[in-house]
Amino acid sequence: MFIDIACSQTKKYNQNAYGDYFVSKRYPEEARLIAVLSDGLGSGIKANILSCMTATMLLRFIENDQIPIRKAAEIIMNSLPVCKVRRISYSTFSAIDCNDDGSAKIVEEGNPDFVWIRDNEVIQPEYETIQSKTFKNRRLKVYKINLQLGDRLIFCSDGVTQCGLGGGRLKLGLRREGLIVLLQDKIKENPTISSSELSQYIINQAKNIETDRLPKDDISACVLYFREPRESLVFTGPPYHQEKDKQYAEMFANFKGKKAIAGGTTANLISRELNRPITMDTTISIGKLPSCSFMEGVDLVTEGILTLTKTLEYLENGEQDIDNAAGKLVKFLLDSDCISFMVGAKLNQAHYDPALPIEIEIRKNVIKKIAKVLQDKYFKKVNVQYM
Amino acid sequence: MDKKISVKVCLGTTCFVMGSSNLQELIDTVPKKYGDKVEVSGVPCLGLCSIDWEFSKAPYVKVDDEVIKEATVEKVLSAIDAKLK
Repeated sequence: MFIDIACSQTKKYNQNAYGDYFVSKRYPEEARLIAVLSDGLGSGIKANILSCMTATMLLRFIENDQIPIRKAAEIIMNSLPVCKVRRISYSTFSAIDCNDDGSAKIVEEGNPDFVWIRDNEVIQPEYETIQSKTFKNRRLKVYKINLQLGDRLIFCSDGVTQCGLGGGRLKLGLRREGLIVLLQDKIKENPTISSSELSQYIINQAKNIETDRLPKDDISACVLYFREPRESLVFTGPPYHQEKDKQYAEMFANFKGKKAIAGGTTANLISRELNRPITMDTTISIGKLPSCSFMEGVDLVTEGILTLTKTLEYLENGEQDIDNAAGKLVKFLLDSDCISFMVGAKLNQAHYDPALPIEIEIRKNVIKKIAKVLQDKYFKKVNVQYM
Repeated sequence: MDKKISVKVCLGTTCFVMGSSNLQELIDTVPKKYGDKVEVSGVPCLGLCSIDWEFSKAPYVKVDDEVIKEATVEKVLSAIDAKLK
């Protein structure tokens, strides 16, 4: 199973920093994912610092594996200082440590209970409560659950469940019940909605419920969706040993999933080996990049280095929906969960002519950087194979 | 009726940065000037820069089998004119 995870947030009005903090990390070798959402007391910079410290510390504790997640959470719960003004713990948190096989451990302290949805019905899991030895008002909830294909988990800060509090329509705020109704309606409408769309939907709805659309608290929603992975393959650069062209072209042809080719020579190579003609777009360039071409059975064919370099820039800056070859490649990559790169190691000497008006990067380096940003920023599973 | 003349503009990395991006004009002017006698299209790569890299004569355009080095709109048009004569 693939875990599609996303978190959307909005700030309390008049504040310039987020008081909730979300952090998540994937460990591809262990097929594991850890995510933490923390809500700092108060708002603005102070809350930002408190929640950021709690979330990052908890993530470190859990990833080290030296102590179990419940023990890590217990230590944090017992040691969080007390806010002088409000006399309560200075941050709350939820953390999940899960595997691709669906097993998950969850701890919660102070945040609203997470929502577990299967076949659009809510499941109420059993949990164990651990009472803090040092503070009477602190209680840890520990869950051990098994998820199935299609399940969703929704974590949120109290900004979601309390939105609209004291307002006209919802005197007690949205509450967990209201959130569940919103979620079920949306999932009914779009059963395969992605985590990023669903988390953004929750935030938008919560904002709409607030009086004058001004959030009275920081609002965060984190969604995990367990589904079949969408696989894709990018073939770029000719193989170092030319006699292996056929073998690699066949690997490309046999791949089940979406496919892209980045590189003119590469496209010719695949066309030759698989005997599939290439047709071009009717333009030469769009937005300073060569235009795309088309090949049967391939979803996207672009030029190589220039397009890849631009793609990296767009991914790093979070730019989307741009109408050129790199914009299309960004969309191709972001619409996938598991991305494989087949990278040919052959160099074209002509690219390193000092007379060229721009510097051309080495393919391997660009791909390395793209792989890193896809992993770290977009939580994709990436695999790079050199040939 | 004679065969159509084919004009192929290389859109590989080297040719593109060396100026084939400026040959977009051909896509518009050639049909106006020659009607359907000439067909212009881009190609992913003609593979010439990697053979000829020491002399670096990109961008390359092919008019039928004739290779035009350091191609410009004018050079391509005069090559087409020569073929049509």
